[in-house]
Amino acid sequence: MSQQTTMLEATSLRKSFGKRGQIQHVLKGIDFRVMEGEFVGIMGPSGAGKTTLLNVLATIDRTTEGSIKINGTDISSMNDRKLSQFRRDQLGFIFQDYNLLDTLTVKENILLPISVGNVKRVVAEDRFKSIARTLGIPELANKYPGEISGGQKQRTSAARALINEPSIVFADEPTGALDSKSAASLLGTLAKVNDERDVTIMMVTHDPVASSYCNRVVFLKDGTIYSELYRGDQTRQQFFQEILKVQGILGGDSVDAL
Amino acid sequence: MTLFDLVVRSMRKNLKHYYLYFFALILSVVLYFVFASLQHDTTVMERTATSFNMSSAFKAAGILLLFISGVFVLYANSIFLKRRSREVGLYQLIGLSKFTVARMLITENFLLGTGALAIGIGIGLLVSRVFLLLLMKLVGIDGVLTLSFSVAAILQTVIVFVALLALTSLQMAFAVKRSTLLELFKADQSGERIKKPKVITSAVLGILGILLIGFGYWLSGNMLNNMLFYNMIAVLVSVILGTYLLFRITIGWVLYQIRMSKNGHLGLSNSLSLAPLMHRMKANANSLTIITVLSAMTLTMLAAAYSVYYSTEKESRLLQPFDYMIQDDVEATNQFTKSLDEAGIGYKAASIEELQLKANFEEAPNPLLMGTGVNIRVVSEDQLGNAGHLIDVKDRNSGVFLESSLYWMLKSVDVPFKLIMDPRDLNKTIPIERFAEGNAFNSVEFFSTLVVKEKQFQSMKSEYLAHEDNELHHSTAINLKDEVQFEEATRLYDEIDARWKKWDYYTQYQNALQSSGMLIFIAGFLGLVFLISTGSILYFKQMTEAEQEKASYTTLRQLGFSVQEIMKGVVKKQLFVFGLPLAIGLLHSIFALKSASFIFMSDVTVPTVITMSVYIGIYLVFAFLTVGYYRKTIQAAL
Repeated sequence: MSQQTTMLEATSLRKSFGKRGQIQHVLKGIDFRVMEGEFVGIMGPSGAGKTTLLNVLATIDRTTEGSIKINGTDISSMNDRKLSQFRRDQLGFIFQDYNLLDTLTVKENILLPISVGNVKRVVAEDRFKSIARTLGIPELANKYPGEISGGQKQRTSAARALINEPSIVFADEPTGALDSKSAASLLGTLAKVNDERDVTIMMVTHDPVASSYCNRVVFLKDGTIYSELYRGDQTRQQFFQEILKVQGILGGDSVDAL
Repeated sequence: MTLFDLVVRSMRKNLKHYYLYFFALILSVVLYFVFASLQHDTTVMERTATSFNMSSAFKAAGILLLFISGVFVLYANSIFLKRRSREVGLYQLIGLSKFTVARMLITENFLLGTGALAIGIGIGLLVSRVFLLLLMKLVGIDGVLTLSFSVAAILQTVIVFVALLALTSLQMAFAVKRSTLLELFKADQSGERIKKPKVITSAVLGILGILLIGFGYWLSGNMLNNMLFYNMIAVLVSVILGTYLLFRITIGWVLYQIRMSKNGHLGLSNSLSLAPLMHRMKANANSLTIITVLSAMTLTMLAAAYSVYYSTEKESRLLQPFDYMIQDDVEATNQFTKSLDEAGIGYKAASIEELQLKANFEEAPNPLLMGTGVNIRVVSEDQLGNAGHLIDVKDRNSGVFLESSLYWMLKSVDVPFKLIMDPRDLNKTIPIERFAEGNAFNSVEFFSTLVVKEKQFQSMKSEYLAHEDNELHHSTAINLKDEVQFEEATRLYDEIDARWKKWDYYTQYQNALQSSGMLIFIAGFLGLVFLISTGSILYFKQMTEAEQEKASYTTLRQLGFSVQEIMKGVVKKQLFVFGLPLAIGLLHSIFALKSASFIFMSDVTVPTVITMSVYIGIYLVFAFLTVGYYRKTIQAAL
């Protein structure tokens, strides 16, 4: 896989919350870049600013300072309406709690992001079939979220994130609510999608096992980038060991617990 | 921290949820109190008791009002209990006993209730005067009003609402007692599994619903026979049952078919309207049916009452075509005209002859209500016209038949209809060319009249007067030139002592105005309460749904849908939730009014349209409030 274009570029990102006098700086100047086709993991202890970074990059939240470019478009100066449109056209989301609409079937949920656009029904149907096959959920099409397992829900959520053929998919702790078997299966699928469809993925996670599926892992600490690890030619197991080492130094919560 | 502190804190934090329930409670108190003060007000009672049994009407309306307020408050309370189930569950989770939780809720309830009671009575004291003014204006009484501070009304209101509070407290205690922790945490995310409807059963039931409504409508137009009472019950049962099936099965079936045809490509606005509607169809069927039936009832009641009020003047005139009328008493007539002259009141007098005969219809026009034999008086078209009452007779041999109390039934009889005069040996048959509404003469007792051409009248007079059974009467009709002088002229008329003094227009009008004014006041009052209750219930329910769907809105906005796009779907859903019961309710009430149109002598289209427009206007306020609430929720979702 040749690393050509930059998919996402963030320059000196800062984000602070609170009013004057009691400002809390969460992101303290982050420079960050994701190449097309990369599968990047973001790790770090609680409070390091992982989710804030993801929200800011995913246009759900705004930065205090700094600029963000996704696929060549500067999003830091866009208004809300344009941002909404941009999210729908260019981005995909996978959440820890799946965030499926209970009143819709699996198929309806997956097709939702392209329901108000000019995607033709035939095209939409084709896309749905191909994605459902890739994620192994075609037989669930007419089931409701209440009738399927957590792993299946997360696959549905992933399918929904992919249906609009996004430039980049943001995943926030996608395996957080899954048992280890479902988690491994989902991550395998994500890696496969990344590899076969060349989808760029950025994933925030606590879990060293989850991040071992990535090409690269970025460690955050106190609102700055602490270090980066590239998987290169290592096996997943070797990469996992390396991640654990960094995490040990960093003092991640999962290590503390041991 | 004491329990009381906890109560105060939770109330302060829940203010957003409370204010609606609080508002609903206050409104119920205000309306009930106003009604109670009117009930206890002596001026109203004295002025109206003479003509119309108002106190019993007020009492019946009061009981109905009490019933509605009770149901409304209990219903609102149950909705709020459900909304707060998570909080209740949390208290139990941290170790409060059920008893303590219940005590806490009940303390809250009493604080809230007594607050609402105090504020409600306060507002009620201020606005009851306005309502009294309105009532007096409606019944045509003017004069100084002295609405006294009624202790009895306050006491009555307090007793009623304390009882209601006790009832809601019981409801709360039961809800807490019955609940399990698990349920409490799940109540927020309730919803039904959407099952594939059984094709045949639901198609049959769905069509049955429509058929039942159609049958009810048809029957309502054809129920005037000797089974009238049973027909009315049948209409009610079939329409209500049909409405329920419509909401429970038919609409669900239609929605399911639409959804199937989309094959997953539902689109955003359907995802936000059709899908959540189907998700709660079963739970919503009951309330939508109740709201539809209530709306239909309210609309019918209001439109009927307003029609009666609206046509008071016209109907009084139909019944008493002349301002004053004295029969066979020249002395009294002279006395009256003289006193009018003295008072300087302008008038026009004309004399009218009436020939009283017996006659037979060729066949009974309506076997149920009218036989063939009839007492009839014959008058001349010209004489009536001279006196100012124009009834047009076309043919020189035929006549126009008037019988005000039976007009609604006679108007559908085919003409010409033969009337054979007694005695038969004269062999005179007069064809009736049309049935006209109202009376030809002032009268209190209903009397059939036949209006014929002057020439025909003269010939009949000479022929029939020879017969000893038949009489000829001479009446004088007096019409005032200026309506402003009615009151004084009527006082003079009442002073006259005549042998045959007929009913006068002004007294008829005043009495009719009093009873119809009272009717429209009570109907309007109850209608307003009904409307506010149904509107609020829909609003509360939608508020709860908006809260439940908040997570969905967050997701949708994260996925990149704008507030406007989401609102489109929400508006579509509200169109269904508010629009459908209203539309079906309107349709029901239109048919109900049509079938009851015989009660009204005049056309009810105008008052009905006015009533319905006002009703829709107020109803829409609730729909707009609901949409506003959704917009706020969606805007805050990201």
